[in-house]
Amino acid sequence: MPREARRVDVEKALEKPAPYGPDVDLSKYRLEEVVVEGVGEVVDPGVSSAAPRVGLSADKLAYVQANERVLYTTLARALSKYGVVVTSTREAAERYPRARELIWRLVDPASDKYTAAAYLYGGEAGYFVYVPPGTKVPLPVYTCLAITSNNVVQFAHNVVYVDEGGEVNVVTGCAIPHGVYSGLHIGISEFYVARSAKLTFTMIHAWAEGLHVRPRTTVYVEEGGEYVSYYVTYSPVASIQTYPVTYLEKGARAYTASVIASSKAGVYDIGSRVVLKGIGSSGESASRVVAKDESKVYARAEIEAHESDTRGHIECLGLLLSPSAMISSIPIITSMKQGAVLSHEAAIGIIAQREIEYLMSRGFTQEEAKAVLVRGFMNIDAPIPPPIRKHVDAILDIVAKHAVG
Amino acid sequence: MKNLSVCVEGKRIVSDVSLSVDPGELHIIMGPNGSGKSTLLSAVMGLGYVNICGGKVLFNGVDVTGLPSYERARLGVALAHQHPPEIKGVKLRDVALAMVKKHGCSDCLLLAKALRVEEFMNRDLFVGFSGGEKKRTELFLLMLQNPKLAMLDEPDSGVDIETIELLARSIEMLRARGTAVILVTHLGVVAEKLSRIDKVHLLLDGRLAYSGSPDEVLPVVMKFGYRKGLEVLVKKNAQGS
Repeated sequence: MPREARRVDVEKALEKPAPYGPDVDLSKYRLEEVVVEGVGEVVDPGVSSAAPRVGLSADKLAYVQANERVLYTTLARALSKYGVVVTSTREAAERYPRARELIWRLVDPASDKYTAAAYLYGGEAGYFVYVPPGTKVPLPVYTCLAITSNNVVQFAHNVVYVDEGGEVNVVTGCAIPHGVYSGLHIGISEFYVARSAKLTFTMIHAWAEGLHVRPRTTVYVEEGGEYVSYYVTYSPVASIQTYPVTYLEKGARAYTASVIASSKAGVYDIGSRVVLKGIGSSGESASRVVAKDESKVYARAEIEAHESDTRGHIECLGLLLSPSAMISSIPIITSMKQGAVLSHEAAIGIIAQREIEYLMSRGFTQEEAKAVLVRGFMNIDAPIPPPIRKHVDAILDIVAKHAVG
Repeated sequence: MKNLSVCVEGKRIVSDVSLSVDPGELHIIMGPNGSGKSTLLSAVMGLGYVNICGGKVLFNGVDVTGLPSYERARLGVALAHQHPPEIKGVKLRDVALAMVKKHGCSDCLLLAKALRVEEFMNRDLFVGFSGGEKKRTELFLLMLQNPKLAMLDEPDSGVDIETIELLARSIEMLRARGTAVILVTHLGVVAEKLSRIDKVHLLLDGRLAYSGSPDEVLPVVMKFGYRKGLEVLVKKNAQGS
């Protein structure tokens, strides 16, 4: 879909609020110029301080974006020996004709004011990852998007293409360093998983009370491909609203897991929509919400079957940790064909007093017992590889402690 | 326990119980269902659902009546629960490791092997466990606490004969370490497997109705049951004196 053809529509969409989440006044935020620094070492103290909050160390990052400044490290070069391309989307669009074909193909720039702003004013910062056919990338591709100053809008347009039979683990940490308290992050993600390829995408968010976050993600999985998404957010935030969509062709599979630990007065409107387009495709969505303080969480999940012999399951579980918090769990299953088997379960509760007492009788203080129970509650048996599991587990240990104060 | 009375939701369940156990001793508390055995152990452990409405709990001479359960646990009091809660998401391994961090453990791997709990280390705690698996796991966790006082609440109910053998061996192991053991049972099955029992107490309607040696009490209770057995014991005693 050529950009120019829709420019008028996109400009109109600047006035179009998203269907969910609080509306954000874009004019309040400062726009910075995109600067591509190229290959180098991470020296930005803001990034070095933000990355550990999402379990990343600066020396492991392949791609770094601080506000609109883009840098890739020698690790990105190291990945090139496998034929893997890690660069900025801006450079990819300039260098690779194929990249130009992929950009803004899955996410419609006229979807809402955030996509429109990213399309019109974003300079195509964000990462571009390409994995050649049959290549199973042995190292995770760690990326970090940080907002390092106040009142700026950060646009990140991430494009991943895993070619036929390829496999890759992409880990993205989005965070701010201490001292940053307001801003807007708009992330556009377009992921292509070709035939029999596999993409495992892990995203960890650690923002702050004054940050608004609007990721817009679409994933397209071809025949026999697999997409696994594991999302964790644990910090306070002004608001976050996202509803990624995954389209599955014949025999393709998707597993999306979200762990949301909300706090303060944040609004967390987080969903996952899986569209079973092809025969034999299957999707599973699991979420765990732990809400405290005055936070409000809307956990949305939708599976839509357009073909027979498809399967889908949604599991949304919530735990209220304080009397003023709110969780709204909204699972939707829609079938348009006979032979699709869809199911969902949703439950919201509080930590069982009996379980706390049991652990206390084993020598845990009340706070320790709560942390053990919250940590256990957040466990999702998602099909992620061991190194990523280790990373996620370490983050969830922090999240559990955070959640019980 | 000194003149200990225990209430649950305002109702007195245990009345005026006095009982002391020395290190390395094994005492058995027997009684019919609903006689207050579990309530008594819960009170000694300091579980929140019970309320001590009279008397004291002394541990090594220190009054622990007002202490929360975790502080009692840290002092060395441990309870193997009769019905531990199923805890979804929390792996046995995670709880065991956290306890080892707290209490230290030199032989925990051996314990896990001896009690055959290794195979469900990665399972959610007590979720879908059989009766025997629950009892073995409870005993394993209790032993990880390296307790000075171990209270076992009906470890022999709903388990097979092999598990009972295993439980008996574990109780002997605890005693060999100098742990005082209070074993609550209403069947007495595990009692038959134990080599030396110091005292048997009968708890009826929340009161400690009789205390005596195992040779004196067990055969009578096994033959006549609790209430009739108590009458026989009291009568025998009266005749003896």
